[in-house]
Amino acid sequence: MKILVADDSRVMRQIVIRTLRQAGYDDHDIVEAEDGADALAKVSSEKPDLVLSDWNMPNMTGIECLQAMRASGSTVPFGFVTSEGSPEMREKAANAGALFLIAKPFNEDTFKDVLDTVIS
Amino acid sequence: MIDPVIDPADTGERRRRADTAPVITDLIDEATIQSIAEEAWQALVGEEEFLVPLPGDAPDDAISSWVEIVGPWNGAVVLTVARSTAEELARCLLKEHAPPVLDDEDVEDAMGELANVVGGNVKAVLPGPSVLGLPEVGAAPTAGSPVDTCRVDLLWRGQSLTITAKGAAGAPHDPSELDPHENEVPL
Repeated sequence: MKILVADDSRVMRQIVIRTLRQAGYDDHDIVEAEDGADALAKVSSEKPDLVLSDWNMPNMTGIECLQAMRASGSTVPFGFVTSEGSPEMREKAANAGALFLIAKPFNEDTFKDVLDTVIS
Repeated sequence: MIDPVIDPADTGERRRRADTAPVITDLIDEATIQSIAEEAWQALVGEEEFLVPLPGDAPDDAISSWVEIVGPWNGAVVLTVARSTAEELARCLLKEHAPPVLDDEDVEDAMGELANVVGGNVKAVLPGPSVLGLPEVGAAPTAGSPVDTCRVDLLWRGQSLTITAKGAAGAPHDPSELDPHENEVPL
């Protein structure tokens, strides 16, 4: 499985990738994107099986990326990993077609709880 | 000239209250901010990393990171540490990916992300809808009104860490501070 990790923070991308490995998802290919626009382009070029994206990013936000993906017909599973986990944000994410929203800070148990059903 | 129609029962008090932004101390307390920071530290910095609620010596070479919150409450959540502490934090966040010599970009990225996580969770406690800005890093923003500031002084590995939720400077928060000729609360 190929997982696209989109976050404008290189440090946070490393943390997300490390947490994926700690959660047991260490045999998947990881592709990184540095903002929503980069993620959108890599959804086309890299054809990931899952997108894990930050919400607040320059150039194109995570939700704009998701909306653009869905508008173009992409049905790639998409989840947010964001510092904003309020019910309002979760509702917005779900309405846009996101499968889940993992709020920062997170740990490997959070990833396992959410991703086990998606990745299996 | 048309005379305005004035309701004799309307003293303007209700309108002024509606126009008045809440102050942060009515919305969140120091213990909640500390709890948010502790959770962020243990998840991002390390499971054995603790924050001690004691003030440290103010650093000479402070670096701050912050995110702005715009909504019913307008302001910023600011983290301030010494430069050496910021470098240590960046190493903790990057772990095995930390290069032998950290560049400024790594330190600023790590500080910005810590502010983003703490600020995002502070935002979740505040009344909404609110918008969270992108993290910024630099010299500490100017202090806001003391009545609209919630400051937590902590120690991490014996070094000073200050977290401040401070209202946007210039926003009056007491109806008595408002210019009676103004209808809008300036930001």
